[in-house]
Amino acid sequence: MKKIVNKIAILALVMSFGCADGYLDTAPTDAVSESAVFTTTQNAFSALNGIHRSLFIRYDSQGQPGEGGVMIMREVLGEDVVMTGIANRWFVGTTQWVTHRDENASDVRFVWRFYYKVIGNANLLIANIDNAAGPQAEKDEIKGQALAYRAWAHFNLAQIFGERYKMGGGNSQLGVPIVLEPITEGGARNTVEEVYTQVNIDIDAAIALLDDGRNAKSHININVAKGIKARIALAQGNWPTAASLAKEARTGFELMSASQLYAGFNDVANPEWIWGSQQIDDQGTFFASYFAYMSLNFSSTNIRGNPKAINRLLYDKITTTDSRKKLWDPNAATAALRDPFIDQVTLSNFAKRNFMNRKFVAQANASSVGDVPYMRAAEMYLIEAEASARGGNGTQAAQILFTLASKRDVAYTLTSNTGDALIEEIMTQRRIELWGEGFRFYDLKRLNLPLDRAGSNHVEAVILGKISEPAGSINWQWQIPIAELNANDLMVQNPS
Amino acid sequence: MTKALLSLFVGLLVTAASFAQTRTVTGRITSPDEPEGLIGVNVLIKGTTVGVVTDLDGNYSLQLPTDAKTLVFSYIGYLSKEEAIGNRSIVNVSMNPDTQNLEEVIITAYGTADKGNFTGAAVAIKADQIANRPINNVANALEGQAAGVITTSASGQPGSTPQVRIRGIGSVNSSSSPLYVVDGVPYDAAIGNLNPDDIEDITILKDASSAALYGSRAANGVIMITTKKGRKNKPTFNLKVQQGTASRALPEYDRVNAEQYYPLTWESLRNGRLTLNDEPSVANQFASTNLIPTLGYNVYDVPNNQVVGTDGLLSPNAVNNFVGTDWFDELQRTGNRSEYNLTFSGANETNDYYASFGYLDEKGFILNSDFERFAGRLNMNSSPTKWLKTGINLSATLSEGNNARDGGSSSFVNPFFTARTVGPIYPVFAQNMQTGGFILDEFGKKIYDTGDLVNLGLPFRGAGSFPGRHVVQETILNIDSFDRDVISARAYAEISFLKHFTARTNIAQDMTSLLNLGYDNTIVGDGAPAGRTRRENVRINGLTFNQIVSYTNTIREKHFIDALVGHENYDFTRTVQSISKQDQILAGNIEPDNFVTINSASGRTDKDKIESYFSRLNYVYDDKYSFSTSIRTDGSSRFFEDVRWGTFWSVGAAWNIDKENFFNFDFIDMLKIRASYGQVGNNAIQNSGGGQSYYPYQALYDLGFNNASEPGILQASLAARELLWESNNTYDFGLDFAFGKRFSGTVEYFYRESQNLLFDVPLSLTTGLNSRFQNIGTMSNNGIEFSIQGEVIRTNDFTWTSSLNISTFNNEFKKLPFDEQINETKKFVVGRSIYDFWLRDWIGVDPETGEGLYRAEEYNADDAATKIVGIDTLTTNFQNARFHFAGQSIPDFFGGWTNSFSYKGFTLGTLISFSIGGDFYDGIYARLMSSDPSGGALHTDILNRWQNPGDITDVPRMNTNLNANNTNVGSDRWLTDGSWLNLRSINLSYNFSREMLQKMKLRGASVYLAGENLGWLSSRKGMFVSESFQGTSSNTFTPARTFTLGLNVNF
Repeated sequence: MKKIVNKIAILALVMSFGCADGYLDTAPTDAVSESAVFTTTQNAFSALNGIHRSLFIRYDSQGQPGEGGVMIMREVLGEDVVMTGIANRWFVGTTQWVTHRDENASDVRFVWRFYYKVIGNANLLIANIDNAAGPQAEKDEIKGQALAYRAWAHFNLAQIFGERYKMGGGNSQLGVPIVLEPITEGGARNTVEEVYTQVNIDIDAAIALLDDGRNAKSHININVAKGIKARIALAQGNWPTAASLAKEARTGFELMSASQLYAGFNDVANPEWIWGSQQIDDQGTFFASYFAYMSLNFSSTNIRGNPKAINRLLYDKITTTDSRKKLWDPNAATAALRDPFIDQVTLSNFAKRNFMNRKFVAQANASSVGDVPYMRAAEMYLIEAEASARGGNGTQAAQILFTLASKRDVAYTLTSNTGDALIEEIMTQRRIELWGEGFRFYDLKRLNLPLDRAGSNHVEAVILGKISEPAGSINWQWQIPIAELNANDLMVQNPS
Repeated sequence: MTKALLSLFVGLLVTAASFAQTRTVTGRITSPDEPEGLIGVNVLIKGTTVGVVTDLDGNYSLQLPTDAKTLVFSYIGYLSKEEAIGNRSIVNVSMNPDTQNLEEVIITAYGTADKGNFTGAAVAIKADQIANRPINNVANALEGQAAGVITTSASGQPGSTPQVRIRGIGSVNSSSSPLYVVDGVPYDAAIGNLNPDDIEDITILKDASSAALYGSRAANGVIMITTKKGRKNKPTFNLKVQQGTASRALPEYDRVNAEQYYPLTWESLRNGRLTLNDEPSVANQFASTNLIPTLGYNVYDVPNNQVVGTDGLLSPNAVNNFVGTDWFDELQRTGNRSEYNLTFSGANETNDYYASFGYLDEKGFILNSDFERFAGRLNMNSSPTKWLKTGINLSATLSEGNNARDGGSSSFVNPFFTARTVGPIYPVFAQNMQTGGFILDEFGKKIYDTGDLVNLGLPFRGAGSFPGRHVVQETILNIDSFDRDVISARAYAEISFLKHFTARTNIAQDMTSLLNLGYDNTIVGDGAPAGRTRRENVRINGLTFNQIVSYTNTIREKHFIDALVGHENYDFTRTVQSISKQDQILAGNIEPDNFVTINSASGRTDKDKIESYFSRLNYVYDDKYSFSTSIRTDGSSRFFEDVRWGTFWSVGAAWNIDKENFFNFDFIDMLKIRASYGQVGNNAIQNSGGGQSYYPYQALYDLGFNNASEPGILQASLAARELLWESNNTYDFGLDFAFGKRFSGTVEYFYRESQNLLFDVPLSLTTGLNSRFQNIGTMSNNGIEFSIQGEVIRTNDFTWTSSLNISTFNNEFKKLPFDEQINETKKFVVGRSIYDFWLRDWIGVDPETGEGLYRAEEYNADDAATKIVGIDTLTTNFQNARFHFAGQSIPDFFGGWTNSFSYKGFTLGTLISFSIGGDFYDGIYARLMSSDPSGGALHTDILNRWQNPGDITDVPRMNTNLNANNTNVGSDRWLTDGSWLNLRSINLSYNFSREMLQKMKLRGASVYLAGENLGWLSSRKGMFVSESFQGTSSNTFTPARTFTLGLNVNF
């Protein structure tokens, strides 16, 4: 008996070493609990800023720097940006029209998940912000921006993975799944029409909630939201809306001067920029940067061996008095004729190729830091002009085009073109003005144009015979990534 | 020490009797491993109970009765020996160790067990098995040594640690690595911090019932490491010196030379144009014209467009101007290895001590790869009173070294990738394109040719050979180093009370302070031209504190009871701070202050905690029947509070048949059957990057997404409050045997099922996240393990002992949270293993066109790429290729064979490890078989390419145009037999004879020559086939072959 008592006593002693309540509760220091995020509007602003930042971080590899990465892909699928060498192969598969058609490609997965990540984070804000403590004005600002992001991301997804939007409506072809709330399981693809309907609902709601105030140009204010709406309307062939929203979007933004044109397209402070990321030194992403591929001076294998050039056919269309003409150097390969600026900002081991650009300039040879332009006033002028021209208001279109073109080219006179010739002139201005900024693939697709690189300075070793692609072929739809098909039973692949 | 005590005991009993005595015989007992004398050996006059035990120097003196004829010498752990006395007055005897070790004590969780009564599965590796091997790391000692244990081979990076798997693969997204326990407590520092020379015993606990008391962390088996103790002997001083070399163990893949390379590239270009429907003559001209523009370099003294003529042949006039195009020549060296160990140990009745100091300096066979380690240890135990025992083991290790940057398999700074892949026409140093001869800089030195020296009039290298980069120069100029300090302490106090009880508390702390330094130079590569520095400080602190009460009693001589109950808590903290800056100010200084711009600065602290209660009961009846059971409950901070406690239990039983009265086969010395079942938990959830996930149940937003100067966060994970312990449940059946007084062995079968697999289940990406953790899935492993060891030959002068182990395992998914998941070259489905290859079905080469053929996924009459051959639908378009299951990387069987031959003072030891069956996916080879090399190196197998209609070959034609007909993509074309055999270790040693030792005034001395990784057999030259368990190759630091000369002296 005594022994038993002893044993119990010992057991009790051992058990008394048991740890205090809460011993097993731990929390990370590099993350915060989701439940804390939506308690106040102030915290919720952090979650919104995370979305702004997500547009220029590195995803799975260095060729995937957020929106800047998708912008490059949308350009190299077109004819106007010329890759002058294979260098380290980044984006070579895309320029050959191979990568985006490969469901196993990491780049395909990146594009899909990047936009849905924006949507997922926006949905958490939309779902929770009403219950947060804070002024209604702040709630409106947060919700408005989140809705605008949701519209923007769905719109991009539809243009990339869906069949083109056929103007006039009735688009029953498969688009992408619409996600409107935090989910844990994937759904089926909505039709292109449904996606555009939802995109319009969201962007209209955003416009209703937002005003022109904001802390930084990386935020979405009413101008940005209206600019997004103008793009959507343009893609849908809704000309009056496109024209009027584009005009409203640029209100308050001056076109840049000729000298600002040569400043490198890397500074959000440029008066013409409506929306752009703002990158600071300790948020650099090295080779995972728009400027690590598009600039002329960042010392990456890609740029040293593959400076990006303009399609010479397009270059030839630029008038000699146009200040944009000097953004590219047709004689860069010849040292004696080269623009001295190129030698000034590059190193001796950089390849110099004819028609290479000096439009985009990184912070330094060793720094790929730079602000990425997402929306400029010039684009809004071009949307307004195009929409006006296509909508039958040629006079207004010519006038709008004049405002932009005369700013770029002092010798520019009001065009006498009308009808298709006017539209063609506007489109040429658009290609020149927005070169490298991520529009060409979308433009070809929405206008149902073919890819045509014939007669240009595209390099055979790079494009491997990829000279043309007929308009409207299945290859204009990117493949859905295999990861989505694996994890989502309702997902349907695009035709291959 | 246990042996000595036991012997003393027996000896005291024996000497109790006395007889009439007439004369005295004296002598000294030694053994090959204890030439300074064996203490406590029983010396008995045969047929009597008269005897003595040897003293501290192994000497004895015995009065002989008149009729005494023979002496019997016995000592636990040694084979007994009889010696006729004759007229001798001095009888010296050398005893040999009993390799059967039937009386061996097994080190188990929180205690020890007699091997005879042990119900679980364990393998022990003793100090003398690794003593003379020049290994840096305990884990290196495991290859081929224990049944059921499979390891990768250590890379050639000095200080690297191989991976270990015990009884198959235990988890998918949680750790599958075993738990390392050092001196009774889980070790929270890198295992490479232990000095192998300090190790007395490595015991591998394989089954769940023996490991169960480490329940929460023992799901993948336990490797118990016990360090040395002072022995009751006179103070011993030991000096060990090793000097050796390190060179490359595996040859490089066979690659084509420049002469072969140009025509091959020419063919690619020509065929690429033919694909675009050029006329043959146009295509030939195109290839001749574009050959040098594509490759950049012309190493010959003929004009660019004549290097390969339109006939596709190398110009007969071509003379190679270039030298130095094998980049390995500049990267490799003969490394050297020096190791010095000093130990000092001893013991008296109440205290024992062991102190050691070891120094290791190894330079790898690649530039800038080295490892230096200072390791000190002090182990002390004391019993100041009868009821109190206490002790402390304290070790401190300082190591530092430089790593070759082999982390990224296709990273430009990886010496193996880059030197292997650069084409055979690109020189390391800049040479004149027309005349050859080095181009020198202003100081008269050779210039590293970065392949883009346009300012020197040199061309760009082809895209496949990294223009703008230079792995030799970068390896020399960059820095990737570490400086690691580890302090590890184990202390205990044990109180005996109430006769049968003891209370013990252990406290253990492992502290690591690690500084990683990285520097990218300003001249070439990722950091150029600004220069980049990175430093990372890591502090790890693992604290284990437990309290154990145990009860041991033998009742009525036949019932042995051993029970314990305990509590333990584990508290782990890891703090990381890192900073990265660029824009170096002054050359030569890589401190952050010498850089201008901050690229990133971050820091965080992670915590991991476990609290446990456990109990065990062992019962043995008459050394015949053994029974063991345990239960443990663990709470983990990684799980939500409602589900964080997991309870795991085990049972085991053994029956010593040979102890039964009915058993009377003299030939059989031992026969035991045993069975056990046990559960162990696993909470070591890993995130997709392979790091530990410490907070998997929490819905989190990640910090660090600031938008310029505004604070920003992003969604990181979903809540998983239902997440709980993964459970590993193992059945073990074993048969232990010994026969003929010479041989012993074990046959075992295990069935292990991992339930509630902690799975990182992929989510639809439309959720905004990639995956979330769920406990869905079951995976099984089962296998048979066999080992036998013994003395094949024993004569007076010559002995041959041999040991062989062979094991199998099969792995199978029983339940999965999805129908299938493709994971690189593998696919997970129910009914198949984690390492089943899922690859395109490569058929071969079309003899008519030279195009590669895959089995087609779907037939399309309009698709020119598909064709029907016999009953097969084939395609040249890889995007329409059908995937299929094509073998698995798990071998049919694997193991090791150890032999030791002793002749007089000489001993030759060999270890062969092998793995037979299974497939290996050689991605490196695939890259070297590109039909569009564009400057990249090619394997000599490419010479068998298809060239003309009718050619029968498995290598498709060269072609730059790969858009559809890509023959280089993942397919079973790259699978090869994964069998290998490695002559892992050879060791020739000589023990100085007693006479020589006396002259030198030493107690013991030996010299030896040791070699590691001496020969590798596999199905392809250069292939590092034992690199990984999943059976895929990457450009990693291949193993080193070391030769070492060693000297071991005891004073």
